[in-house]
Amino acid sequence: MSLHRLLIDSASRFPDNLAIAGPVGEMSYAELDHRADALAHALSREGVRPGDRVVIWAEKSPITVVAMQAVLRLGAAYVPAVETTPAARVAAMVRDCRPRAVCGTGDRVRRLVKDLEADVRAVDLDEHRDKPGGRVRPVDHPVEDGDLAYVLYTSGSTGNPKGVCVSHRAARAFVDWAAAELDARPDDRFANHAPFTFDLSVLDLYAAFSAGAAVCPVPSELAYAPARMVDFLHRERVSVWYSVPSALTLMMRDGGLLDRPAPGALRALLFAGEPFPIAGVRALAGWTRARLLNLYGPTETNVCTFHEVVPDDLTRDRSVPIGRAACGDTVRVMRPDGGEARSGEEGELVVDGPTVMRGYWGGVPQRGPYRTGDMVRVLADGSLDYLGRRDHMVKVRGHRVELGEVEAVLGAHPEVADVAVIVGGEGADARLHAFVVPVRGRTPGVLSLKRHSAERLPPYMIADEIRLVGELPRTRNGKIDRAALSSETTPYGPL
Amino acid sequence: MTTTDLSEREISEQLITFIRERFLSGDPQGELDEDTPLLEWGILNSLNTAVLVSHIRDEMGIDVAFEMMDPRAFKSVRGIASALRLF
Repeated sequence: MSLHRLLIDSASRFPDNLAIAGPVGEMSYAELDHRADALAHALSREGVRPGDRVVIWAEKSPITVVAMQAVLRLGAAYVPAVETTPAARVAAMVRDCRPRAVCGTGDRVRRLVKDLEADVRAVDLDEHRDKPGGRVRPVDHPVEDGDLAYVLYTSGSTGNPKGVCVSHRAARAFVDWAAAELDARPDDRFANHAPFTFDLSVLDLYAAFSAGAAVCPVPSELAYAPARMVDFLHRERVSVWYSVPSALTLMMRDGGLLDRPAPGALRALLFAGEPFPIAGVRALAGWTRARLLNLYGPTETNVCTFHEVVPDDLTRDRSVPIGRAACGDTVRVMRPDGGEARSGEEGELVVDGPTVMRGYWGGVPQRGPYRTGDMVRVLADGSLDYLGRRDHMVKVRGHRVELGEVEAVLGAHPEVADVAVIVGGEGADARLHAFVVPVRGRTPGVLSLKRHSAERLPPYMIADEIRLVGELPRTRNGKIDRAALSSETTPYGPL
Repeated sequence: MTTTDLSEREISEQLITFIRERFLSGDPQGELDEDTPLLEWGILNSLNTAVLVSHIRDEMGIDVAFEMMDPRAFKSVRGIASALRLF
């Protein structure tokens, strides 16, 4: 079953229900369905065919959701980028996955396509904002389970973003599990906090669509206004909220979330992307009677384990477990010696099953189990505790960041001779610290280094603190001594 | 709603001083100005915007309802200063 079938079916059962609601604009199922067909015809005229990719570089708005559905209906795959993704990064994505078209708003899409001199069409979504008139022939190109539904670009350790290829089968295995686990209903209102480039948004959109429920996108600028985010939760009568723990931490700490009674409509609070400090989980459990669910999984496997918070968890001195396998996946924990970890032992989490990606775009197909690079401990009851990474991937406010990619970008600045980047702080307070050795005789400005990064990286990958140093500390065998650098970072202090 | 007697220019200067010291390692090259894109260049993010807001409220003594402010105002020092004067 295809991913787009969820919306098509709900549009015939609940045509008058709102599919999209809230401050970014409202749209009923019937209208979303109609517009998706109309835009699919327009994209087809631009040459989009089954098996193609289409980049969608746009803000969080109903027309963006329309575009995603239009692409799927043609049997093609969408490749999301957000408003704040810099043009150079979108260009790198285009060069990598060779889409037939780039959809977006404003002039910048046309400029990007012109600069690329590639065989790719620019589609201005602003020209499709008006309601299409008359009847439009439905578009529902048949797809195979293994066909590509979307490609999510994520930070790559070698300095280039890499595209995680997700099939209809993998997406549906996750969405169908989530909709059943949450018992999604037509009167639900799913908040959509994550950007469309982040796989958390897949649950928000498609679990809602599978039930004929409304998805309420949180305008991206509210990230800077936690009190407004809290207000959104109440005003939109959100019943299911899913975000990174950092967002909930900021809402509690700076947005006054706990000062008001929990909204009655709220029945499930989901979090994923990074460990949630236990104090935050405790505070939420004392505030709301909603279910609290910890979901786990890298982009490559989508959600593969989950844990529902129970009262016993609240007395732990560490975050809640990531739990047990979900979505029909099987998970194994591999000890460093290759054996399977038993109760009390640690090892790397290995995932197999329907949610595992097809592979990275342009890379070898993923066959068999996926090694996550995440270290876990097996608990007495068989569920799992997350311990950390075995490489240099870090989480910054829930976003995954390969330190090597940040270093590669800073290292490409003409006045930079050497650079090391580390992460300091945890959860909502995680920050990237860059230690930069300038080229002899040069003194690059902190701002010019930030600007250089901003032209190539998404905002969350720009180093928070940049310090010029004479040299980088090295271990005896010549590697950068990251532990020595860590001791030099200073936290913000009390807020 | 505000209790400040500071001019927009004085607000800007104080904001620039704070952002330099707190978020730009002192900005030794003196690159930050009123129109530097704070959000776009990652100088402000969700975490340190909250730090900046506490500073405006507690240290600069501007008692303003931040939940009423358009978050887009944080795009530059000029944007913040003029939004603060609007109240």
